[in-house]
Amino acid sequence: MENRYEKIEFLGEGQFATVYKAKDIETDNIVAVKKIKLGTREEAQDGINRTALREIKLLQELDHENLIGLLDVFGHMSNVSLVFDFMDTDLEVIIKDNTIILTTANIKSYTLQTLRGLEYLHLNWILHRDLKPNNLLVDSKGVLKIGDFGLAKMYGSPNRINTHQVVTRWYRAPELLFGAKQYGTCIDIWAVGCILAELLLRLPLFPGESDLDQLTKIFGVFGNPTEENWPGIKTLSDYIEFKPFPIIPLKSIFTAAGDDLLEVIESMLTLNPVARKSCSECLKMPFFSNKPAPTVGSKLPLPQSIRKIAEIERPSLKRKLLESAEGGTLSKRLFV
Amino acid sequence: MNRLGLVAPSGVADNTLAVSWHDSAWIPILNTTNVMEYFSNASNPFFDRTCNNEIVRMQRLSPDQLENMTGLEYVLLHVQEPILYVVRKQHRHSPQQVTPLADYYIIAGIIYQAPDLASVLNSRLLSAVFHLQSSFEEASGFSRYHPSKGYYWDFKTQKIPEKIKPVEKEKPKEDSSSLFQRQRVDMLLGELIKKFPLPSPPQQPKTTASNAVKTENTNENGVEEGNGNTKEKVEVKQEKTGNKPPPEKKPRLN
Repeated sequence: MENRYEKIEFLGEGQFATVYKAKDIETDNIVAVKKIKLGTREEAQDGINRTALREIKLLQELDHENLIGLLDVFGHMSNVSLVFDFMDTDLEVIIKDNTIILTTANIKSYTLQTLRGLEYLHLNWILHRDLKPNNLLVDSKGVLKIGDFGLAKMYGSPNRINTHQVVTRWYRAPELLFGAKQYGTCIDIWAVGCILAELLLRLPLFPGESDLDQLTKIFGVFGNPTEENWPGIKTLSDYIEFKPFPIIPLKSIFTAAGDDLLEVIESMLTLNPVARKSCSECLKMPFFSNKPAPTVGSKLPLPQSIRKIAEIERPSLKRKLLESAEGGTLSKRLFV
Repeated sequence: MNRLGLVAPSGVADNTLAVSWHDSAWIPILNTTNVMEYFSNASNPFFDRTCNNEIVRMQRLSPDQLENMTGLEYVLLHVQEPILYVVRKQHRHSPQQVTPLADYYIIAGIIYQAPDLASVLNSRLLSAVFHLQSSFEEASGFSRYHPSKGYYWDFKTQKIPEKIKPVEKEKPKEDSSSLFQRQRVDMLLGELIKKFPLPSPPQQPKTTASNAVKTENTNENGVEEGNGNTKEKVEVKQEKTGNKPPPEKKPRLN
């Protein structure tokens, strides 16, 4: 590691990289350093690892509150390391923590931040192609940032063919499962719809065990796609006919969701990719301006593990905040 | 807070006070442990599915979490097995502070919204005025005038009472209150009168008030003996009247 960054602890190891928590000595900020693994000799011959290259190439051009920030890139010997904003947790941890309550206001806040970041990405002609709770990072101030751009790609060239083997299966849109090679922003929207559903249910909506099972699970809720509701579906390379499924109303799956929220889910999880709403269209839907207002970042729930650390670090401040909050309700009570 | 309390009932009161809901499949198996589940049925018009209870249920969290949430929730307020359950709809501000919004009672499996005092008084005044008016109308049908005699009553030639009867038969349907409701309200009004006696100097109003309460009580006792159901020792009156299905108790109109 370069001298500027002081290693604090080991955070995790993936297929292509090792991640450390570190301190930037120049600014005193806490950062995450992702050290790219060299890989096999064959890969090394091509030069730098492809996912790392994508991250460097795209993230250097991007700057948005809800996208992970690439702060620095440095090389040491034949190693390359990327320096990112340090994020305390991610939505997967939050969804799995049963001590956390995800109210409509909390869910609205997370979805709103995701859509804002994604809208910026799409407006800059970039597809993320791997949205899942695990890649939506959250810091202790409740700011959500889209991370892991290892699969992200520029889109829009009409003659360029993309691979359909993208996106973790549970969040993969039906057109990808049918083998579409030309696709657009709608695949990211489908993933956001699945994540929104998972925030509501605390379980994945379509936990498919294979690509076929994935489609079975999707059609088991929305019914089979037809030429009427999805013109051109039969021309997709991997298209196959499924046995007919009855449609299950979303209301009976998301029992506590209001009508405005169901409307959002429905327009994100529309089978026909062309009919699916874009980020900007989704952001204009009534759900996001209706009551309750999205929870402000500082009031968003944190997972147990991080909560404990935060309490140890600044107990006095927290108590002060609590006291002032209680004082607020008390005075309200007196006035009414 | 105050506004919340007022807005919610007045916004919906007109329709929710006049409706009841039940699911006959549930009625025989209702008990303290499942009554909230019964109340959370999606087709129950009194249940707002965006409430905290439903969020906790949908996310399969522990029901203890309700206390840590803010916003709309339903709690089981009172149980008198096997006949009466009272569910309260309330707005939670903090683990310690809640504002009640409405009460619902489940009696013999049928859910009603408990009316607020204003609508009770309103409805009673309206029905009193209505009956006064109908009695005047009926009476005026018997009055005759002859230049030589002046005004007089003629009860022999007219058959108006028969005409009025069918109208009276329809009335019980319009009348949304059950016997239980009326007795309960009489009791509450009686208590209120005891607490705040009428200020007027002569003793008359006071005695009439207590008389009215007494007559209600005797009526009630009479009915009770007819159906003879005595299980509970505490608050026997309520219990018994509750045991009978409310709709049957309609014939007595004032």
